[in-house]
Amino acid sequence: MTAGMTVATTGILGVVGLLLLIFVRVPIGLALAVSGTIGYAAIDGWSNALKMAGNVPFNLASAYALSVIPLFILMGAVASRANMARELFEASNAVFSGLRGALAHATIGSCALFGAICGSSIATAATFSRVAIPEMKRHGYEPAFAAGAVASAGTLDVLIPPSVLLAVYAIVAEQSLPKLYAAAFIPGFSLAALYVIAVSIVAHLKPEWVPRTPGLPLAKRLRASVGMWKLGILFFFAVFGIYLGWFSPTEAAAIAAFVAIIIAFATGAMNIYQLGDALLETAFTTASIFFIVVGAFIFSRFIVLTRAPTELAAFITGTGLHWLWILLAIAAFYVVLGTFLDEVSMILISVPVTLPLILQMGYDGIWFGIFVTVMCTIGLISPPTGMTVFVIQAQHPEIPVERIYLGTLPFLIADFVLVALLVAVPGMVLWLPRYFGI
Amino acid sequence: MKGWRATIAHVCGWLAALCVAGMMLVTVADVALRWFANYPLRGTVEIVELLLTCSFFLALPVTFLRDENIVVDVIDRWVGTRGVSLLKRLSAALAVVVLSILAWQGWISAQDTLVFGDVTSDLSIPKIYYWIPLLVGFIGAALTAFVILLSWDADKP
Repeated sequence: MTAGMTVATTGILGVVGLLLLIFVRVPIGLALAVSGTIGYAAIDGWSNALKMAGNVPFNLASAYALSVIPLFILMGAVASRANMARELFEASNAVFSGLRGALAHATIGSCALFGAICGSSIATAATFSRVAIPEMKRHGYEPAFAAGAVASAGTLDVLIPPSVLLAVYAIVAEQSLPKLYAAAFIPGFSLAALYVIAVSIVAHLKPEWVPRTPGLPLAKRLRASVGMWKLGILFFFAVFGIYLGWFSPTEAAAIAAFVAIIIAFATGAMNIYQLGDALLETAFTTASIFFIVVGAFIFSRFIVLTRAPTELAAFITGTGLHWLWILLAIAAFYVVLGTFLDEVSMILISVPVTLPLILQMGYDGIWFGIFVTVMCTIGLISPPTGMTVFVIQAQHPEIPVERIYLGTLPFLIADFVLVALLVAVPGMVLWLPRYFGI
Repeated sequence: MKGWRATIAHVCGWLAALCVAGMMLVTVADVALRWFANYPLRGTVEIVELLLTCSFFLALPVTFLRDENIVVDVIDRWVGTRGVSLLKRLSAALAVVVLSILAWQGWISAQDTLVFGDVTSDLSIPKIYYWIPLLVGFIGAALTAFVILLSWDADKP
């Protein structure tokens, strides 16, 4: 280590260097690997640093636990191509018809279910931007609110199982994935319910933004709701299969992806070329995520070596600050992080630092996984770089980006209500895993 | 993307995609045999791990070639097109160095594996088979980054 430079200073310089590299457009995985290796070398010498950097990719890429990620991505890629989003939206719309804000409710319900299967907020927002926004505009909805509803509802996928983001958290935080999925159920569907409440409040306060659409007879609604069967089956295999003890998470992901392909072919919704596209998309998406995972693990080796997380935890608890202030500070940290980082990078970079602090405060690693994931949903729709907002703006350039942010405001408030609920009632996260005995 | 770069992207992409399909099919076959014939497929975990390694590392050069690595682009609005192009080139230079180091360190570890004759516990698959895609991926990605670095327009490698 450089004479006069403490380990803590090296840690801080490493983090600053990382942020600087990310800011100047260096790919996040590469920035993590560079700052992690140089930081490690500054403390333990180049020989050990290079050895560490050389072994991490091999250990990670051949880790069976990681195989769940490409398989769930494949399931989503198939579902996206097999017209399941439109069928689900039409079914949800029929179910909610007659209510004020029916189309917005349908958007939230469909995004929650489709996003869970699709696993990508960007893909969900892009898909429903094409399906739901024109329909809402046709029925006289305020375009900014319609866009805001899709941008926000598109983020529900990160919380509702089977979530790829939770799988990433499980790996980096060394937590049980089945336990995380069980823990995410109540907060995930609570957030969807809070979004529905947000739509109802907006409909009450600004009725001209959310017009009433004609209701359908009950028989028609029931018939239309049958359109949800495909995603229902996938959801059953991908999630319930794990809790029924039928499959491990990787097996559940493989079976669900396989069933998605069978359904898509059996219903004529997909051809062999589209399957090829789905497989290619899966391979490329997985590679870009894994590259960040590799970089993050190199960086976390460095962070562990600095002992910064434990020292930070000891320092903060030593200040005697009330735990609520510490949690608020962590939440604020994630809001800031979310303004410029994507959700996978956010989790991979921050969790090695924040988790030890949370554990020292007596919180559970599973609870924190859900907390961080909710914070990610906030980052996805908050300015200046809410990614789902930009996806929608790209497809609907006639709606200014500031107006879309305005449209997401009611849903952003709903997100913060959920954060408050998670802090006030941690049992809403931990009850289901305990009930399942996992 | 045209010419030999498109061919490489096509071949590597499809091989990686086939590995993903293989992972799914092997796992499904294992579950099906376990359920219906009470005869689980031996070494499924090892095969899936090998296919996962192949899939990731074969797709890695293509993500560089297609410029699909995840970046934060908030700086774009301040530096303009030429600035972005320069920053991309700098990233490519950094990638060449880092990926070459990773390949070099991987080569050293792979040689150890070969010398000691390490094999997996269930199917006795030589561990060197797991290192080969890693080396191919890192060397391929380093070469790709080098091509991007040398190309006149970093936006179109």
